[in-house]
Amino acid sequence: MFTTRRGLLVGAAVLTAAGCTRETAHIITSDADLTAALRTARTLAAAGDALGYGDFAEDHRTHAATLERLLKPNVVAEEIGELPADAAALAEAESAGSKEAGDACLSTDSDYAVVLGEIAACRAAHAAVLA
Amino acid sequence: MTVVDTGLAAEYAAIYAYSAAAVHLDGDPRWIAEELEAEHRSRRDALLDFYDEHGLEAAPSLAGYDIEPIADAAGAQRLLLAVETNVTTAWRAGVASTEPRDREICLRMYGDAAVALARWRIAVGESAADPWPGRPE
Repeated sequence: MFTTRRGLLVGAAVLTAAGCTRETAHIITSDADLTAALRTARTLAAAGDALGYGDFAEDHRTHAATLERLLKPNVVAEEIGELPADAAALAEAESAGSKEAGDACLSTDSDYAVVLGEIAACRAAHAAVLA
Repeated sequence: MTVVDTGLAAEYAAIYAYSAAAVHLDGDPRWIAEELEAEHRSRRDALLDFYDEHGLEAAPSLAGYDIEPIADAAGAQRLLLAVETNVTTAWRAGVASTEPRDREICLRMYGDAAVALARWRIAVGESAADPWPGRPE
């Protein structure tokens, strides 16, 4: 009996020292909606700059900076796809980006509904002005 | 008072303000103001349909709203910029709703309000750029 209890205590001490206690694991996952919004913001910013809409590009950079902060410690690699060729194509891209963020706003159960809604509204305003 | 009630009240106030301000405007700002006033009326009607569809009771508009005295075109432009900002802010707040039905209509109205705000900014010579439309400063 004494030996068993001592063995148990020693075993517990060894496990604790080795970090094998039942601490709840905290896995940090990236939010898919925010990640998609970030990728689109980067593409729209690059497109705005390329087509001479610097003030709209700045809006997208502001979104990107906010989304990067919300996604930390995850880092989303920079991947800029094909850019719209002219203002009409940029308006379409803004409109599609607005729908993407709006759909995410409606489906999310996270605290990010408002920021996604703001991004959707901003992109909708850009699309309307460009159209 | 629900978030949709708050948005509807902002639309009522906007219609009142436009009816008082538009007569002080000329040229492009005048016709854009007339278009935006029509959009606010359309949004009000869509909201009243929303209340009907869901068996809810919509508050009526008030007989009058407290607006700044309008002396000239510049005053009218400032007033309508404040009105569009207020409407956008009201709908933005509704997007935080945890009730899906309310969030959906608030998001739709918020997008339309952000477009109207951008159009009015351009009409009065300001940039339409704004990363967070209606976000309180």
